[in-house]
Amino acid sequence: MKFTESILERLDPRTKIISFLLIILCLILFPVKSVKDYGLFFLLILVIALLSRVTPKQILKKLILLIPFILFITMLIPFFKEGHTYWSIKIGKLELDIAYEGIQTFIKIFIKSSLSILLIVIASFTITFSDFLKGLEMLHFPRLLVMLMSFMYRYIFVLLDEAKRLMRARSIRYFGSRYIEQFKIIGYIIGILFIRTFERAEKIYSAMITRGFNGEVPCIKCFKFSYFDILFLSSIIIFLMFIVSGLFHKMGYLNINNPNIWQAL
Amino acid sequence: MASIIKVSNLNYCYPDGTIGLNDVSFEVKEGETLVIIGANGTGKSTLFLNLIGILEGSGNIEVMGLALNKNNLKNIRKIMGMVFQSPDEQLFCPTVMDDVTFGPLNLGWNNDLVTKASEKALELVGLEGFGTRTSYHLSFGEKKRAAIATVLSMEPRILLLDEPTSGLDPRSTSMFINILYTLKSQGKTLLIVTHDLFLTQEVADRVLVFSEEKKPVAIGNYNEILNNYDLLLRNNLVHQHRHRHDEVIHEHEHRHGYIHKH
Ligand SMILES: Nc1ncnc2c1ncn2[C@@H]1O[C@H](COP(=O)(O)OP(=O)(O)OP(=O)(O)O)[C@@H](O)[C@H]1O
Ligand SMILES: [Mg+2]
Repeated sequence: MKFTESILERLDPRTKIISFLLIILCLILFPVKSVKDYGLFFLLILVIALLSRVTPKQILKKLILLIPFILFITMLIPFFKEGHTYWSIKIGKLELDIAYEGIQTFIKIFIKSSLSILLIVIASFTITFSDFLKGLEMLHFPRLLVMLMSFMYRYIFVLLDEAKRLMRARSIRYFGSRYIEQFKIIGYIIGILFIRTFERAEKIYSAMITRGFNGEVPCIKCFKFSYFDILFLSSIIIFLMFIVSGLFHKMGYLNINNPNIWQAL
Repeated sequence: MASIIKVSNLNYCYPDGTIGLNDVSFEVKEGETLVIIGANGTGKSTLFLNLIGILEGSGNIEVMGLALNKNNLKNIRKIMGMVFQSPDEQLFCPTVMDDVTFGPLNLGWNNDLVTKASEKALELVGLEGFGTRTSYHLSFGEKKRAAIATVLSMEPRILLLDEPTSGLDPRSTSMFINILYTLKSQGKTLLIVTHDLFLTQEVADRVLVFSEEKKPVAIGNYNEILNNYDLLLRNNLVHQHRHRHDEVIHEHEHRHGYIHKH
């Protein structure tokens, strides 16, 4: 994947991590006073998307994969929230009540998480994983956690490949009988994978200590904050403060638009 | 020339009771290329792990006059670098550059020095511009070369290479031999474990043969060893090769990399 350098890509990874994290935190933690606030968040994300020059198609492709997960998790909310019954379903003896408040919460959480995911998808196009890790490290994130993530990123594919090879070796010699025994074989494969991973970890550790590893991961600091980073970060913070403090509500000129449009959203 | 590595009466036994090394003694001279050959499972990798202090056997190992023990371990690892057999274990960072700079940064060099040494190492193995690539997406040959660069960037005087050409195609192997020539010309001491007699013939100054008893049985000039057919046959490094030319059945040694006349 190669993209032409967009403005967002030229930003320091730390700037991106901080600002995206701030947006998501604001989106999740602060009570949304009106539907219009979602619009404002969406606007902000739209601007970021434009700056990143990621095509809508790329974003949609990833989003479509993720939306079902959100739906699946949030779908259960209406059934558990208590309140004024809006709709009740009878399945045999089971009676399910869907509360009015439940539906409201469902919509709220669904929109919030979709917006967050949208932002994360855009972020994933503008920060490479290794830059992301380096950024985290320079932000003094717990080193152990960063190292763990880095090893996971490095070896998850190696492990998957190994599992695939083992499964393939099994399947070319399997002609479809003795179903019960197959579970045993799959157990063996999992066991072998575990042992190999364990031994590989030992070898990797050897390779690390022969190169002078003593618990610290020094890195060349190749990132620098530029004026542009400061500009980007401060404008994000200012915009978020406006939304959170509800200042946009008080500003009359935004209300001039037909409020029905916002409510229809 | 003076001995740079001195191993005497080294024994190693794996925790499960398998004998890894059995009374190994030999010396390596400064600046020479010693190729270690031996059949599978004769203890060559075990020897390397002992030399670099990962496994601890009984016996004495001396590197540049320093006895290998806890106190000297760090200093010895500064002098001696090791490239493991599998590049997936050698390359553990997200990008190639992270891996190449890992060693020198741990040695506490300053950033300029680290960058310079790393770029030099990548250039030497012919991987300029691969710095930002993800190790996982490299081809096997590129991985092997990157693995060597991760050790070269620490500028060690002694290099231990465990089967550096296994899994490489002929073109990559010959490219690799060129890298070895460069290293030799820089005066580095090289210890190479290999099954490739062709590689041995190309780069070795001396050859050490490991026997099934997990100890060296012969050490000597590469001509001497490679032409001692009995020795090679006895240690399962060559095997009889039979084939037919018309009506005549013809039997001779089978040596990879040798072209024979009929
Ligand atoms: N982790 C281990 N636990 C127990 N025994 C081991 C272990 N690793 C190696 N061995 C045994 O030690 C002996 C020497 O193994 P070593 O890996 O040093 O051989 P090698 O000469 O490098 O072989 P190859 O050419 O196949 O790489 C073998 O008999 C092997 O079975
Ligand atoms: Mg080996």
